[in-house]
Amino acid sequence: MSLSIQPYSAEQPVNPYLDVDLYDPDADLMVLNLGPQHPSTHGVFRVKLILDGEVIVKAIGYPGYLHRGVEKLCEKLNYSNIKAIIDKNDYISPMINEQAVNMAFEKLAGVEVPRRALWLRSLLAEFQRIASHLIALGTFGLDVGGALGGGASAFMYCFRDREMILDVFEELSGCRFHYNTHCVGGNRHDVPAGWDRMVLPALEVIEARLDELVDMMVNNQVFVDRTQGVGVIPKNLALGLGLTGPNGRASGIDCDLRRDAPYNAYGEVEVRPAVRSAGDCQARFLCRVDEIRESARLARLFLAGLPEGPISGTKPNKGPTSVKIKEGRCYVGLSTPRGELGTYLIAGGNKGLSPYRLKIRPPSLHHLASIPYILPGNNLSDAIAILGSLDPVMGEADR
Amino acid sequence: MAVDGKNDSLTYTNPAMDLMARLPGVDIFTSTVDRLLTWGSSNSLWMFPMATSCCGIEFMASATARVDIDRMGTIVRGSPRQGDVMVVAGTITVKMAPRVKKLWDQMPEPKWCVAMGSCAISGDFYRDIYSVIPGIDTVVPVDIYVPGCPPNPEQLMAGLMRLQEKMRAQQRGEWTEPEIRPETEKMNTQPDIRRLLDDERDEGISQAQYDGSCSLGMHGNEHRRHDQVGNPVGVDREQGVEALILRAQAHAQAMEALRQEAAQEFAAAQAAKEAKAKAAAEAKAAAAAKAAAEAEAAAADDDASVAGDAADEAPAGDGETP
Repeated sequence: MSLSIQPYSAEQPVNPYLDVDLYDPDADLMVLNLGPQHPSTHGVFRVKLILDGEVIVKAIGYPGYLHRGVEKLCEKLNYSNIKAIIDKNDYISPMINEQAVNMAFEKLAGVEVPRRALWLRSLLAEFQRIASHLIALGTFGLDVGGALGGGASAFMYCFRDREMILDVFEELSGCRFHYNTHCVGGNRHDVPAGWDRMVLPALEVIEARLDELVDMMVNNQVFVDRTQGVGVIPKNLALGLGLTGPNGRASGIDCDLRRDAPYNAYGEVEVRPAVRSAGDCQARFLCRVDEIRESARLARLFLAGLPEGPISGTKPNKGPTSVKIKEGRCYVGLSTPRGELGTYLIAGGNKGLSPYRLKIRPPSLHHLASIPYILPGNNLSDAIAILGSLDPVMGEADR
Repeated sequence: MAVDGKNDSLTYTNPAMDLMARLPGVDIFTSTVDRLLTWGSSNSLWMFPMATSCCGIEFMASATARVDIDRMGTIVRGSPRQGDVMVVAGTITVKMAPRVKKLWDQMPEPKWCVAMGSCAISGDFYRDIYSVIPGIDTVVPVDIYVPGCPPNPEQLMAGLMRLQEKMRAQQRGEWTEPEIRPETEKMNTQPDIRRLLDDERDEGISQAQYDGSCSLGMHGNEHRRHDQVGNPVGVDREQGVEALILRAQAHAQAMEALRQEAAQEFAAAQAAKEAKAKAAAEAKAAAAAKAAAEAEAAAADDDASVAGDAADEAPAGDGETP
């Protein structure tokens, strides 16, 4: 005799600590390891699934396959070197990650940042958000549609559009990836001449093709069947697990640090984050689509209103500058494409040249914490769709 | 497949061709078929991605529309059973390394490995961290190194074309220069972990090499061991080399003393053995002489008894048959 497991709902929550022996005394269950090397887990993440037929009874997540000791490494690096490491944490949006630590350093060192640098940072962050969400949408299409099915088209289209953003970044900083363009007190690279002639067509093309993508996915009955009502995270569960970003907003948590605790230049413009209430895979997908549109709008605003002036508070610095922070501690919260990225910095290590402690609050780790709750009760094939819709990045979850 | 120290050279072998080559008179046929097989496999390198981190994104980008590595016949396959080339893209941790080895073992021969990016090549930033493997070539043999952080898709493509050239050259029977780990090229004194852990390797020399590299700052707190043009940062290279030479000399002296001591012991043991053998030989000779003397005496007794028999036969016969 076995009980039936239903997907998580507010009326009937799932017990993530289910005693499997109690559930099925005959021990007629199957244990399946998803990962760590699986193309659909978006990195090296392992989920141990206990299956009753095709239905998941219990799911246990095992992170740590990409633990690189970043926080410990930061304790012996100079402040100017840390940004290059933090770039590699969330490797899908490095431009925003280096802003986070940079803001913490500036806050403690008390450095004034010119207004042009603040606007440029916001502009770059919005571009990075578009690029990151394009990866999320493309790989989600690949997960749901299968490598040789229709989903591969969405993957190809998204990566084709993302290359235009990378070209824009390459024109600015010389790198496709891991830009290291932010410094304490300003930016290293100013906007090159004729940059807007490159940026504005890219935004137009991306927005036009986004409609095509949504038409291709959301009007496809297979896609709707596989995403609508699957992997529902109710609002209370999302609040309890600390979900932020598109995943939290798809569950109805109307919170965006760009609007609620403005930093950089976000206080000077109106930010309208996309909020949905369904909380399923499709809502998370559509939240990201809406955020791309919103980011394109913001990027146009920031580009049009980019103020004149210097981009660096001190002398124009081409290389990394050394900063000394004797003491102090601060928390900086930032809205990355995945959610709230927190940086807690305690200064004072190595005679003020290095942090004493740098704690990073990665949004992906909190999103992965929802897996034991929302996977049970679903089919095995839905587990792939749910994992893909959460869009985790193991680099920042394992650090 | 030959694995030789730090320079791994993977020789292209085909089990079916090896089997056929043993049959008489098929040389011409097999060489033609071998050329055909190499042409086929070098133009259809199916990649098995071991994509763990940032380089995995550039790996994905290389498979999509802009670069479209598919036009070289390199299709990305998610299963090790279907892959020819394992592309290790990203940091490999201590927790992940056994999985990498397991998946590498699951791939069918012939197979190749491409290390993509600084982390897979040497560990890069994270080299000194407790949880990171300093280079994937400590786990599986690597054919092609593609440096960069991360490398552009074009660089990965160039690496795969180098691999194709290597395969074709090996099929023609030409010597192919094995790729050297880019960092090793810069710092030749760097110890190779596998050689350090080799049981047959002399312990003293390994230690001397390790100490020498420590004074070069490779295992210290220096995060960057060399700047962008390859000069070591914050370390005294001359001093390190000097320490290495001194340690090697001291070790050689100690080994020479040990060798002399052993030679003396050996000589003493030889002398003792010879003396013992001599004594034994003397004792044997003495015993032989004694035996000969006894035999002579016995013969004399026999002669005497024969003479006695002839003298008095009846009492002797009575005595023998009571």
